[in-house]
Order: sequence, then structure tokens, then C-alpha cells
Amino acid sequence: MRRGFALLETIIVITFVTVSLLLLYGTFTSLIAKKEKNILYDDASNIYQMYYLKEYLELNGLNDLNTDSIIELSCDNFSSSGCSLLFQEFSLEHLYLVSYGLKDYDEEKFSSTFNQYYQSLSNNDAYDYLFVGEFKIEDAYHYASIGVTRE
Amino acid sequence: MKRGFTILELLISIVLISVVLLLLLRVMMSLEVINHDTSYASDDEISRTEIIKNIQESFLDNHLNGINISKDDDKTMITFMMDEEKTLEVSSKTLKFDGETYSLNSKNATYDTCIDYEYKALENDYYFVTFTIPVLIDGENTTSRDDLIFTYIGLINENTSYPSNYTC
Repeated sequence: MRRGFALLETIIVITFVTVSLLLLYGTFTSLIAKKEKNILYDDASNIYQMYYLKEYLELNGLNDLNTDSIIELSCDNFSSSGCSLLFQEFSLEHLYLVSYGLKDYDEEKFSSTFNQYYQSLSNNDAYDYLFVGEFKIEDAYHYASIGVTRE
Repeated sequence: MKRGFTILELLISIVLISVVLLLLLRVMMSLEVINHDTSYASDDEISRTEIIKNIQESFLDNHLNGINISKDDDKTMITFMMDEEKTLEVSSKTLKFDGETYSLNSKNATYDTCIDYEYKALENDYYFVTFTIPVLIDGENTTSRDDLIFTYIGLINENTSYPSNYTC
């Protein structure tokens, strides 16, 4: 009569346990990655910075810019030199004007972090444009956006 | 008749169990790092957003015209000169603003009563003001992710009154 486990039985059990643990690991890491990304998106401080930046730039030429896709904005687009100061103070790396509700665009022209943020947005409101800011804070890219309505 | 394991079977079992344990250890370590990084954010994220929203909305509703900052031993008072004057009281564990008290729930977290403040003039009589209440974990500002950052851009008028700089 045989007692204890055979090698084959042990291997099968260990393989089963390993697969279960790997599945668990995959689930945890994807949940954690999602949570980490959400922390970087639409922080309250960044949203108010975007609001004031929009209000200020609307006085300096933002209302003259139009697009049916996405345009990357720089301070050259605006008549005020205060724009550069605000970019620096807010740790802004890039600023985009996006046609609201845009579904298809050339993703290769933009960073993967921008694409992930843009795809996370619901687009359920009624704006003409979305004003998106990319902030570089402690080596991580944070994003915030607010809607723009044209008269 | 064979009983129990042979030495080879035991060795193979130990190697396989070691691999599994190493994988498990990796998972635990990555979870611990992430938990350390986000412990404050997860506990006080909602109240942080609420504080920022309440104060920023009152700037918008009441037209901020000036700020006055004073510091005692254990608390800092920031008075906002608006249509209706309001004060933000910062102490190590609580913030008081407009009749509301916000307490930190996160373990080892405190507000730094030494706030960062900056005022700069922009073109065409506009100005930019920002102040930050740092959040310390075990006495250190480990990440700016938890800090309370307030911003205002306004037009200079005869009532505008801001300190040009502030050192704690």
C-alpha cells in the first residue's frame, strides 16, 4: 500500500496553486494600477488651476482658437507673457484644446499617458471643447480638464 | 512497497514551493509599497477635495481681494478679504473654515502650520496668488500629492491687499 503523495500529485497541486496565485496577482496589479491612475487624474487643485488658466487665457486669445480634433497649445498662441509664468507655477508640461466628444484621433501623435487619460473621460456633458492640462509633478504626469463653451 | 517521499521528490517539491513563495513575496512587497505611497490619499482624499472645493468656491463667489497671514505657536490663521471676510485656521490635526472643521484621519499625518505662499503680478493688472498647506507624514512632506494647494487669479483694484511674500 502506498502512503503520502506521489511526485506527480505534488506537481499537480503546486501547479494549481501557482496558477491561482498568478491569477490573484494579475487581478491585484490591475486594480492597483487603476487606482494609481485615478489619483493622477482630475485632482481638485489641478481643476481649479485649469479653471483660472482658462479664464485668463480667454482674455488673451483662447477664444480665437478652433479645432475639430486636438491641438497642442503653447504660450506662443497667446498674447500675454503671463502664460509662461503660469505654466511654470502650475508645473504644466502640455496644454491641449480638444473638440468635445472626439472619438477618433491620431493617438501616435500624443503620449500614452494622455491617451489613457482622454479615454477615461465620460464626455457626457455639452461643451464645445475640452481644455486639458498635463502637469508634471514629482516625475509623474497628472491630468486635469475643464469644459469650454463658446458663445 | 514505497512509503513517503524519496529525496529527489522532496527536493523537487521544495524547489517548486520556493518558486511559489517567491512569487507571493513579490506580490506582498509590491502591495506594501503601494499602500505606503497611498495611505494618506485613501483615508483623507475625499475631505481634501471637499476642503479645496469649499475654499476655492468661496473665492469665486465672494471675489477674493486680499489675504492676511498670521502665525501663533501651534496654529496659522489665514484671513481672506472678500465681500464677506472668512478665516481659515490651520492647526496640526484640523482645519477650520466657514463654520466647518475638517480633521485628518490618516495615521501619522499632520498639517504643516508653516504654509507656502506666493504672489506674482501678471500683465494688464492681473495677479496670481497661490498658497499651499503641506501635509506631513511622520513629520515629513513625503509627497505633494496630499498637500492642499489653492490658486487665485484676479484683477488688481483699489481694495486689493496681498503680502508680496510670506516666510513662516
